[in-house]
Amino acid sequence: MKKKKCIAMLLAGGQGSRLKELTSSIAKPAVSFGGKYRIIDFGLSNCVNSGIDTVGILVQYKPLILNKYVGTGESWDMAVADGGVHILPPFAGETGGEWYEGTADAIYHNIDFIDIYDPENVLILSGDHIYKMDYNLMLEEHVSRDADLTVSVIEVPWEEASRFGIMSTDEEDRITKFSEKPKEPDSNLASMGIYIFKWKALRKALLEDHKDRDSEHDFGKNIIPKMLAEGKNLIVYRFEGYWRDVGTVQSYYDSQMDLMDNVENINVFTKDMKVFSNSNIYPPQYLGPNAIIKNSLICNGCTVYGTVEHSILGSGAVVGAETVVEDSIILPNAIIGRNCKINKAIINEGVVVGDNEEIGSADGEVFVYGKSKLSI
Amino acid sequence: MKTIGLISANYGSSSFGALLDNRTLASLPYGGRYRLIDFALSNMTNSGITTVGIIAPYNSGSLIDHIGIGSPWSLGRKSGGLFLMPGSAYGVQAAGSRFLLRDLIKAKKFFERDDADYVIMSGSSDVWNIDFEPLIKQHEKSGRPITMVYKKVPRGEDYFGYFLNIDEDGKVTDIREEAFGWANYFADCFIIDRDYMLDFMSWFGPLEYMDMIQIIQNNMDTMDLGTFEFRGYLGKIKNPADLLKVNQAMTDYDIRNEVFCNPERPIFTKTQDEAPVFHLPEADVRNSVISAGCRIEGRVENSIIFRSVNVGKGAVIRNSVIMMHGEIGEGAVLDNVIADKYVKINDGVKLYGGGGEPIIIGKEKTI
Repeated sequence: MKKKKCIAMLLAGGQGSRLKELTSSIAKPAVSFGGKYRIIDFGLSNCVNSGIDTVGILVQYKPLILNKYVGTGESWDMAVADGGVHILPPFAGETGGEWYEGTADAIYHNIDFIDIYDPENVLILSGDHIYKMDYNLMLEEHVSRDADLTVSVIEVPWEEASRFGIMSTDEEDRITKFSEKPKEPDSNLASMGIYIFKWKALRKALLEDHKDRDSEHDFGKNIIPKMLAEGKNLIVYRFEGYWRDVGTVQSYYDSQMDLMDNVENINVFTKDMKVFSNSNIYPPQYLGPNAIIKNSLICNGCTVYGTVEHSILGSGAVVGAETVVEDSIILPNAIIGRNCKINKAIINEGVVVGDNEEIGSADGEVFVYGKSKLSI
Repeated sequence: MKTIGLISANYGSSSFGALLDNRTLASLPYGGRYRLIDFALSNMTNSGITTVGIIAPYNSGSLIDHIGIGSPWSLGRKSGGLFLMPGSAYGVQAAGSRFLLRDLIKAKKFFERDDADYVIMSGSSDVWNIDFEPLIKQHEKSGRPITMVYKKVPRGEDYFGYFLNIDEDGKVTDIREEAFGWANYFADCFIIDRDYMLDFMSWFGPLEYMDMIQIIQNNMDTMDLGTFEFRGYLGKIKNPADLLKVNQAMTDYDIRNEVFCNPERPIFTKTQDEAPVFHLPEADVRNSVISAGCRIEGRVENSIIFRSVNVGKGAVIRNSVIMMHGEIGEGAVLDNVIADKYVKINDGVKLYGGGGEPIIIGKEKTI
């Protein structure tokens, strides 16, 4: 087997409880995004677009839909003989099994998996970020500067810096300090939760961290400070571009609207760094004789008889006659009856809305409607 | 009982002009995202058939590009799967022949090597969604070696191909090329015992230049032919006007639900993974079918727009079919037009096809 320069480990086990009903039956990375995508598509597509063909996906919370969606990885051109995608749930050994207790603990439990490929470097990713990034550029910097760990950072406005994990650096972009949500930040370089480790260095750190009873087994809180204290070569990679953590309903809504309102920031229409997805085969959309569609993204399989303005309709969604959908996101296979008013709402997957319903809020807060009925 | 499938794609038509310059009828783009052969292939796989042979034509480039190893139809398998078999270079006479015996004899190994009881033979140019399982059951029960699929069509309607005369036992008594007083239209599809197919090849080997249906027609008195009625939608495409009409059938609620939106029998096709359609504030789309990856700033009515087409500001597209990657300039007007892939219509160009045959614009043309 050819030695891999870099494999990726994608953390996809979180519940994402701040997304409320959206994650009541589905892991956050599997939540629908932009009509035809799911959140994990962005991370997986970045991998394949960066030439990384081996990805371990660490799952834990309600993984069934995610597992089915990822499948063999064929949709992301990752059905390769020597590598590909691997779904990695917690598993039992001779002494029983445990849940993943933190981000670092999840990787610790899969040391054997990474050893199978014995890569020079390991890329750690979160499965719930929306961005397009060529990890190769980061890997090049990591390798050329012989770093033990490279952390991808993005400049955030100073007034928001206290909401992020902040990296302080010297004049050569070596990390001098890491502070989680500092009250008085001395840097505005926020960690994106994207790390490239030398596998040897990470392996050693994980084994030692596992023995530390006081550790929370978290990359930000434990592994990075530990490696800093040991005087390892830790650097930042400055990413410039669009990057969103869709942790809340509002940010989930905003970043989807960005797909049409701010195309120059996050462009899913271009062939460059294409975003792949595993969508079912639907017929093209049908728009009825009285349909009015303005400033909207509409997916295959949709049927529209009513009016849709500044909204996103997911695959297979139906909008009945005389219904008006405004500033809303209708997730895949949701069916909206006749004469409804949907305003600034997210209609959950597969939800059926009857006739003459009014959904949404006037106060500007995004409203999530219904419990998802998934069929993918 | 085990059934395998054979799809004939080695036939063309001279009625489509530039649309068939570099492709076969089977790979003609249809319905926004499909090729005609998708229907035959999906019908096979949706009916549980996992071994499918395709008789490919000499100009099979676009067909092979579309089908690949058959993964969209779950035919990329170790056991069975997809078998692409080159057909013969047909002469002008046999150009429209669906089941040329010579092609079937060339594919003899496909029939010999499988242990299936039956073979479903199908053309590749019709738009329909049929469940073959009831056909297989009825064929098995009848004990007849061949069962032909037909659809009752309104008399006088402009169908072409073969019509069957059927007696009260459901047996074919005559096959004609015109509908004389009866209108049981043969759907270019039949099921045959595999053993009988092998016998048929050896009996009629010297007539290999003929179509199997013609041979049957000439030997009616020795054949015991059963029939199976198909009651759903059957979209026949014999010329550009049909192509437009059968495309527009997708806007019909019942046909759309029956053929394209049946969750148990979806029509599979090669996926391109395009982004959702972006309807800009100026877009005005009525009674039309739009495929993924399009960007719409103009007006679209009663039309079928394939993937990744750009419709510029103020452009009007009416009763037309625009195939993938079309660029329709600002203020352009297209009425009764079929534009092939990668066609570019410059700003302000106006094309009216009138009431007759649609205007055809060949692949990659700029107007």
